[in-house]
Amino acid sequence: MKLLRRLIESRFWALTVKEIGQILRNKQLIFLLVFPPTIQLLIFGLALNPDVQNLKLGVVDYSNTPMSRELVSALTANGVFRVDRAPPNEQILGEQVRRGEIITGLVIPPTFNRDLKSDHPAEVQVLIDAVDANTAGIASGYAAQIINHFSQQLAPQNQAPIETQVTILYNPGLISSWFIVPGVLGLVLNLGSSLVSTSAIVREKDTGTLEQLLMTPAAAWEIILAKVVPLFVLLLGEVMLAVTVATLVFHVPFRGNFFLFMGFSGLYICVGIGIGFLLATVSRSQQQAILTSFFINLPLIQLSGAIAPIESMPRFFQILSLFNPLRHYVKVVRGVLLKGNGLEVLYPEAIALTAFAVALLAISTYKFRTQLS
Amino acid sequence: MKRILAQCTKELAQFRRDRLTLALAFILPVMTLFIFGFAIRLEAKNIAIVVQDFDRSNLSRRYTEGLYQTNQFVPAQWSGDDPMQDALDRGIAKAAVIIPPDFSRGIAAGKTSQLQVLIDGTDVNNARVIKNSIQAFTRSFLQDQNLMSGTSKITPRLRLWFNPGRRESLYIVPGVFGVILAIYPSLLAALAMSREKEQGTILQAYASSISAAELLLGKCLAYLVVGIGQAIFVIGLGCAIFRIWFVGDPSPFLIGTGIFLIASIMFGLLIGVRANNRSVAVQGVATAGFLLALLLSGFIYPLSNIPFPLSLVTNIVPARYFIEISRDAFVRGTGWEGVWVAQVCLVVLAFVLFNIARRILGRMQLPG
Repeated sequence: MKLLRRLIESRFWALTVKEIGQILRNKQLIFLLVFPPTIQLLIFGLALNPDVQNLKLGVVDYSNTPMSRELVSALTANGVFRVDRAPPNEQILGEQVRRGEIITGLVIPPTFNRDLKSDHPAEVQVLIDAVDANTAGIASGYAAQIINHFSQQLAPQNQAPIETQVTILYNPGLISSWFIVPGVLGLVLNLGSSLVSTSAIVREKDTGTLEQLLMTPAAAWEIILAKVVPLFVLLLGEVMLAVTVATLVFHVPFRGNFFLFMGFSGLYICVGIGIGFLLATVSRSQQQAILTSFFINLPLIQLSGAIAPIESMPRFFQILSLFNPLRHYVKVVRGVLLKGNGLEVLYPEAIALTAFAVALLAISTYKFRTQLS
Repeated sequence: MKRILAQCTKELAQFRRDRLTLALAFILPVMTLFIFGFAIRLEAKNIAIVVQDFDRSNLSRRYTEGLYQTNQFVPAQWSGDDPMQDALDRGIAKAAVIIPPDFSRGIAAGKTSQLQVLIDGTDVNNARVIKNSIQAFTRSFLQDQNLMSGTSKITPRLRLWFNPGRRESLYIVPGVFGVILAIYPSLLAALAMSREKEQGTILQAYASSISAAELLLGKCLAYLVVGIGQAIFVIGLGCAIFRIWFVGDPSPFLIGTGIFLIASIMFGLLIGVRANNRSVAVQGVATAGFLLALLLSGFIYPLSNIPFPLSLVTNIVPARYFIEISRDAFVRGTGWEGVWVAQVCLVVLAFVLFNIARRILGRMQLPG
């Protein structure tokens, strides 16, 4: 009780109350914390979709027998390929692939049925537009598998001695938004926390009220802490909002411990606020702060694995990404939400994020103090 | 015309004097080129996997070795006995192959052996890649070991067009050109327009005899010059670093770049006209530009994957048409026949953006 009274009567409390008042009056700030994150989550989650489905297929069936038609329907059965057109000959098919009207083409030779009846292997040609290297790779894998499977069914006595039983863990339906949305959650929190904290300080600089604060007997740490605490609470709210969107709109599972997740998010908010303060102390105006935040946030986001997986980056960038706090947070979000990881798995990330948070806040407080005096 | 040129010279002089903006105009695009060009790769190489071999026979060892020789998988260091808990949960490996104890005995006896494969599905795209390659490897392993008749009844002849080596940079880098030229020229244009508003110098323009269209065209011309400089710099550098070059007639690309620059500058001017200060303008371009050019342009994943209501928005994203033109120039090489529609769409979009900006600016001007 006594402690509480001392807290309420302290300078720190008075400063915090002032900050909260300022934030609540700043409609733009609240808007900034609610609107862009929701939109970003929705657009990223819907638009970044690596599915390989409904690829337009052009079929030239010179054989035109029940068997060749069965091959075509086997190819289209699971929805990877969809017959879009049936050009009369190979030249026209090639032309259509060239113009990008269809992505894949299948040419069944006139001798197809005859070859099948004899011992001669029947050859079919599959053309794939490989401009999109990734989709082409997956599509060609599917095509080969489907055709092999089909030809195995033709000779049932020839059963394969090894059968691979594939189990996909964590996301058995391979729903693409389950990969993107947790990544974007990290991205959104990073942008939100650094932007809001930058503008909280730069605004005082721009309007000159920072000098007034300096004239008061309050210490630098009191001024900073009073700024951090309300922002921290607000940003925790933003995390909750983002998680709600992720689970309600995209049905992303939440398999891990909620409090562990909020703890990590709290750590990352400290990192983000640290980045924001650092930006604010090095830049002279709000415009400069925003432009420099481009410099910082672009590599942070791209090298975090939120959009493109870290494993597929060149070695140099993989190592560089270890110094990116967002990379660790994105791993935590995916780990807790999808895999249900606990602290026994995520402790390296906990150590890394704590180190980043402490270092960033210490540096920015130090720089802030030197600027103050 | 004279007034447009005067406005253009004034704008260029201002641009030259502002060192920070000048540096940003060239450093930021190059940084973006490097990060996007190198770091955005969708397909993982050297995927860490674990193999749990309960059989320990010659055959199972050959299978394991063969799996690592595909150059796609590398063995992961792990300890423990449950590959799911100890390797996949921890993220040490992306997949686990479990060879049952009766693997080789079963095959020798002519029975089918079950090979269990566990794949980490968090990265959806690579889960598919891993699944496909393990299945393809198993099939070729069977044929190599003469366990299955090598000649299956139907042989698919797969031919990959335009990019037979499936170089991902060939897909990503032409797209990066689009993202860069969508964001940075419009950022500069938005800054220039909103600066006039913030500093109040726009009032002088209102009071003078220059019309809204002339003011916009003058600024557009100035930043078109800057944008062409950026384009030459970034595209030249990109071609040199990532070793890509035109595969056909470069004229549609060169003309398309000009039109696209105008469209993105017009977009920047439009935001500049709407915003009251430079911070808002920068944020507007950054948010809208990144969301549209990065996500709704087909830069990373095919446009056809975007679901219905959102897919309508992609039609008004200029970057989408430019990326189409750019990929055609560097990979496909069909020339005018393939991309004239995209060119027309870009012209229309540029014109519409100009008209909206002119309307808004005209409204602020005094009549007469």
